[in-house]
Amino acid sequence: MSTEKLALIPLLPLLAAVLTCGMRCGRRAAAVAIGAMSLSLAIALVMLANAWAHGGVQTVSLADWLVVGAAKIQFSLLLDPLSACMAAMVTFVGLLIFIYSSGYMKDDPRCARFFCYLSLFAAGMLGLVLANNLLLLFMSWEIVGVASYLLIGFWFHKPAAAAAGKKAFIVTRIGDMGFLIGILLAFTQAGTLELFDNGNGLLEKIPTGVVWGIGAAKLISLFLFCGAIGKSGQLPLHVWLPDAMEGPTPVSALIHAATMVAAGVFLVARTFPLFVEGQTLPLVAWVGGLTAFVAALIALGQYDIKRILAYSTVSQLGLMMVGLGTAATGAVGMFHLFTHAFFKALLFLGAGSIIHGCHEEQDIRRMGGIARAMPITTAAYLCGALALVAFPFTSGYFSKDAVLISAYGADRNLFYLCALTSLITALYVTRQCVYVFIGTHRGAQAPHESPPVLTAPLVILAAFALGLGGLAGNSLLAKLGAKHSEHPFAVIATSWAVALGGMLLGWVIYARRDLGRTTDPLALSALANKFYFDELYAATVGRLWTALTWLVVMLQELLAGVCELGVQLTQATGQFFARSVDVRLIDELTMDGLARRFHKGGEVATGFQTGLLSGYLRWIALGALAVGVFVHWLWK
Amino acid sequence: MSNLTLEHYLILSAVLLGIGLLGVFTRRNVIVVLFSIEILFNAANLNFIAFWRFGDQPEALMGPIFALFAIAVAAAEVAVGLALVIAVYRHFKTVDLEKLDTLKEE
Amino acid sequence: MIEQVAFYILSAVAVLGALLAVSRRNLVHGVFALLLFFAALSGLFVMLLADYVAAVQVLVYIGAVGILLLFTIMLTEHVTGDDLRRLGVRGWFWGLLLAVAVPAVLILPAVLNEKSAKAAPIVVAQGNPALANNATQANTVKALGKVLMEKYVVPLEVLALLLTAALIGAVAVAHAPEKDASGKDTPA
Repeated sequence: MSTEKLALIPLLPLLAAVLTCGMRCGRRAAAVAIGAMSLSLAIALVMLANAWAHGGVQTVSLADWLVVGAAKIQFSLLLDPLSACMAAMVTFVGLLIFIYSSGYMKDDPRCARFFCYLSLFAAGMLGLVLANNLLLLFMSWEIVGVASYLLIGFWFHKPAAAAAGKKAFIVTRIGDMGFLIGILLAFTQAGTLELFDNGNGLLEKIPTGVVWGIGAAKLISLFLFCGAIGKSGQLPLHVWLPDAMEGPTPVSALIHAATMVAAGVFLVARTFPLFVEGQTLPLVAWVGGLTAFVAALIALGQYDIKRILAYSTVSQLGLMMVGLGTAATGAVGMFHLFTHAFFKALLFLGAGSIIHGCHEEQDIRRMGGIARAMPITTAAYLCGALALVAFPFTSGYFSKDAVLISAYGADRNLFYLCALTSLITALYVTRQCVYVFIGTHRGAQAPHESPPVLTAPLVILAAFALGLGGLAGNSLLAKLGAKHSEHPFAVIATSWAVALGGMLLGWVIYARRDLGRTTDPLALSALANKFYFDELYAATVGRLWTALTWLVVMLQELLAGVCELGVQLTQATGQFFARSVDVRLIDELTMDGLARRFHKGGEVATGFQTGLLSGYLRWIALGALAVGVFVHWLWK
Repeated sequence: MSNLTLEHYLILSAVLLGIGLLGVFTRRNVIVVLFSIEILFNAANLNFIAFWRFGDQPEALMGPIFALFAIAVAAAEVAVGLALVIAVYRHFKTVDLEKLDTLKEE
Repeated sequence: MIEQVAFYILSAVAVLGALLAVSRRNLVHGVFALLLFFAALSGLFVMLLADYVAAVQVLVYIGAVGILLLFTIMLTEHVTGDDLRRLGVRGWFWGLLLAVAVPAVLILPAVLNEKSAKAAPIVVAQGNPALANNATQANTVKALGKVLMEKYVVPLEVLALLLTAALIGAVAVAHAPEKDASGKDTPA
């Protein structure tokens, strides 16, 4: 199969989205969406084999998009190991999530619409992954944003869901603004937006100009990183991600584990040469490290099963950024992204299954004893949890080790931060598992196991979560361009110690506790309240608006005061003259006359707003006339 | 008298444009305003065709293509416009533009 | 010579038709004057060797638009339009002034440039010899069809979509709100 078929990967889900948008029957829509996704997966796998064999970069240019003079923007796609892996991962995880959704959403009256949004999302994500053009990438990026808005707010009759959708859309938009500025800068500096173009692409010939006294590459990469921060939920724009858990659970899995949040990390990896050239990598690493640490701490204090996973996602995304920011290539971060996509999707889908089995209960304090009631789900979930903790020889272990090694080599402080994060990760995962699976059930209704359509994807994902790292890790790293590195004993030891130690600590703290009644020793109020980030924004950004409004009001008051003063002065003068000069003259000249003239002027101005069509048309014609006269006689 | 030149057609088209504008500016009946808009469209089409006929590349057929598309769009515009006129008439019981001044804030 | 005569006759008919169309009080008369204008324009298109456009002009404007206008006049029950005198002097004056000024701005530069014999901003070919020699006087329909079906096939389809949308939109807009059994207005 030639690389031209690459375009089918995003186009098939797009077609499915178009087909399903008018459907009423949820089952048929699900069949269409799943069929399209399976085809995409098949093509993506063929392309992966192709890329594996070829190794380098292959580009496909489908059509011209915008041609302005010498500059040309194309619909062009890109096949290299990075994009092929991402495409295969997105289609594979996506397909499993689609299948899961067909069971999870089957009772929802708007099921067909749900699959339409899901397909649109997948199309956008695949376009993003395969784009060989920053503008095309940005367009897909925005499609993903819109689709995620629709999906998060899918149950828009819940006010929280509607608000969460808006929040996700607006907060990521802040980052996207930076992304767009970065794109425009890149276009002005490099004259092209193609990433690879036979030696002339943006990543092959990195712009060397200087803008505002800063190197172009540095500035562009900084702005692109803004987009990545927004999309991947890094500090300080992470606040939307946990709120987005209001959406249906498969959405959480699709958007917030496997694909959308990975888009930011992917963007950094994609445009990695710019970051290297601009020397922005340390910033990336530190933003990632701090995010990882703070989010892991917050996860300790949460009680909603999905929110814990959400914060854990933010934390793991931070680790990916660390992996990107400390290594010489994008391989380490991307490796963690791949393994994370599988085990986090597994965790989310498992959480969905648990929530389903517990009659839509999300609070872990009212769970417990799930292990006996839902054995398959529990087993799969524990596989995912072990991978998240980086238990030795699971996939998470290999990828997180790679990140730790790379951090160890680059910046020792960062390494300590990451190790601490790993310890906390193990702690909160253990806490969650103890709460959910062990002991007696504390909810009202007895939990029950989910049907096979929900558990089958879990089992498949569990296999990947355990095996992917060990089986494919080294070749994946090699293909993505990682340099072979030493495995310092200190890192290995730390990694084992924090994973096992954290789990042990968690067990000691939580296992014997009477979970339903006593308070949680680690759920400090600062953690439970997410370090007051939302409050902080309300207090800063919100206050800023209030302050600005106040300022405007004060200015208005001031102006009114000045006017009042003027009026008083004029009146005083008028009265003064009225005694000495002829009253009528003064009145005519200053007070009444002036007022009347203003009144007349007002009437004239009102006259323009006749509300009559021909009146407005005449003004338009007059404008056209003015332009014509200007062009003909006054130009030059 | 010399042969017909581009200017002949352009001047004719400008005159027709003027007549169309006159109708748009001075008449108050929506239907007549639509007539006038049709006249404006036709004046523009005459320009397209004339420029094509006297231009450098008559074999490229840009003029007729453009005119055809303009005619089609104008047809769509008339259909919707007249439907709007009927809807407006049903609502306000008039097609007099001077009485349709709800754009103005009272 | 016969070309000039035809041009001036057709121009006169077009201008006259347009003037009548915008000035008649009786709308039905106005429509017929408008049809005259369309027919004259069609003749001008024939003179410019755009035979297909001329045919389309007859079909679309005289055939469809004219009938539509007549139907609308019938449906709005206003055969007679407004009285021009009621518009008031100022409305007339400004409208006329603008209506004269816009074409004047368009025409004047050409006239002035001719006088000063400077290079015109747009170089205008003085008639294409190939066309003047009747070499391509063979109809343009075949070539046009080829171009429309090959190079411009996507715009053509988009146009078809637009017309469909306009059709549906027109029906939806003009559709009378019906009262259903519950007495609520059903949206069109």
